[in-house]
Amino acid sequence: VPCVSGGLPKPTNITFLSINMKNVLQWNPPEGLQGVEVTYTVQYFIYGQKRWLNKSECRNINRTYCDLSVETSDYEHQYYAKVKAIWETNCSKWAETGRFYPFVETQIGPPEVALTTDEKSMSIFLTPPEKWKRNPEDSSVSMQQIYSNLKYNVSIRNTRSNRMWSQCVTNHTLVLTWLEPDTQYCVHVEAFVPGLPRPTRPSEKQCVRTLKDPSSEFKVK
Amino acid sequence: DGVAILPAPQNLSVHSTNMKHFLMWSPVIVPGETVYYSVEYQGEYERLYLSDVWIPSSWCSLTEKTECDLTEDITATVPYSLHVRATLGSQTSAWSTLTHPFNRNSTILTPPWMDVTKDGFHLVIELEDLGPQFEFLVAYWRRESATKEHIKMVRSGGIPVHLVTMEPGAAYCVKAQAVVKAIGRHSAFSQAECIEVQEEALPL
Amino acid sequence: GLRKCLISMDTHHLEESFQEIKRAIQAKDTFQNVTILSASETLQSIKPSDVCCVTKNLLAFYVDRVFKDHRELNPHILRKISSIANSFLYMQKTLQRCQEQRRCHCRQEATNATRSVHENYDQLEVHSAAVKSLGELNVFLAWIAKNHQEISA
Repeated sequence: VPCVSGGLPKPTNITFLSINMKNVLQWNPPEGLQGVEVTYTVQYFIYGQKRWLNKSECRNINRTYCDLSVETSDYEHQYYAKVKAIWETNCSKWAETGRFYPFVETQIGPPEVALTTDEKSMSIFLTPPEKWKRNPEDSSVSMQQIYSNLKYNVSIRNTRSNRMWSQCVTNHTLVLTWLEPDTQYCVHVEAFVPGLPRPTRPSEKQCVRTLKDPSSEFKVK
Repeated sequence: DGVAILPAPQNLSVHSTNMKHFLMWSPVIVPGETVYYSVEYQGEYERLYLSDVWIPSSWCSLTEKTECDLTEDITATVPYSLHVRATLGSQTSAWSTLTHPFNRNSTILTPPWMDVTKDGFHLVIELEDLGPQFEFLVAYWRRESATKEHIKMVRSGGIPVHLVTMEPGAAYCVKAQAVVKAIGRHSAFSQAECIEVQEEALPL
Repeated sequence: GLRKCLISMDTHHLEESFQEIKRAIQAKDTFQNVTILSASETLQSIKPSDVCCVTKNLLAFYVDRVFKDHRELNPHILRKISSIANSFLYMQKTLQRCQEQRRCHCRQEATNATRSVHENYDQLEVHSAAVKSLGELNVFLAWIAKNHQEISA
């Protein structure tokens, strides 16, 4: 049933939240409609193509987000998306995003971080962040395959001396030797692509304790 | 029509250090009055292709100061023409133009400040935060084998960076120079700093 | 090959300059169904050996046509476009040295890729074409960053 366009205020703050090429359109409800059961309909557009396309799973939905990862999976292209609010026979005008370019704008998620220790050393194992995939059983693609110059900034804090230092690495294993025994070290890592200013997402802080040194009490002269 | 009665500013010069560029000039003195100044710039592109176009500087339109920070305006390694004029009420002076266009590749690069410390056996360096265009070439060596110098590129200042895991009982020395790829130049090395490492703890 | 004509440049600064004007410039581009660089899918299929030539040709496209055809009144946007234009001029000079040492050879594929960009440009009224090309700078900058990065340590 066609609705009266412009009868409602438009949704606001419509943007793509993109992390590792998982591209989710999100918006805020129209202002001034608290308590009103508003639904939303989404369309998207591939820059350079001819027509706006429907996203069937996001027709008359209650939520204020819509996963368009499938529709925007070719990250070398650019896209627009738009959403309108509907309530009974009224609907808003379309609220439209700016042009979205996944290759440049997606945020690089943190790598997976695994730590092992012995008395005086710690090994940090990094697994590159994974690109979004359509189905869980699809083969994985690492973000490193898309950004071959992906690097990692590893930050290490010695909680005994409360000293923090960082190291920039490209490989996936970092072994720190000559650490203090029986000491807790906390680590977080962020992946980044040199040259392109984009927000990064550090990994959760992880802490491990080096083992006690069985041969002696470690004493600093 | 009050256009050129006001004298144009004189003695224009550029002072540029560590990629921070300032245009300076002598004040136009009108007793009992405040004179304002406006600065415009023209990159080589504008001079070659859009010669009528001069661009108002980011920070210096009708400013009372007799200097202008052009760091955010001079952002390419090409010659920039610069001019400044004075304004007093409805009176506006002629433009006064810098004699020679300024290219940021002439900036003075100073040896970077650095803080060399250790965390147990780990040599850590923190370098001066000079901005996103700066990287640092850090050289370090064991004092007793000064010939064997190791090099490490440090991408940014302002954060402590791990240099090397040191051998117990040794002394290590470090020096650093600032590198600006955008202009293909680097500073002199800083004064070397050395640090001693404790012996490994002996069993009780 | 790819590594012979590397232009060491400040993509970070160029990308930041573009990000500051992206929304305003792209909003002026009302022809969403037409592209200039993006249509040339060939940009993605440029071989490493053609990277230098295509870079040189596209720098010339922007320096000789786009920046000249676009007249900007907003001082903030004007400054950012000037920053990009002067950086492109500097990159041209850097590539010029490659050209003199004959390491920037143009094969037919590279020439075709550039021609299709100019043809797309000519399809539109000149100011619309200039605005659209400015709005697609991020495609060119991303392609440069991808194809001119030094081998990571």
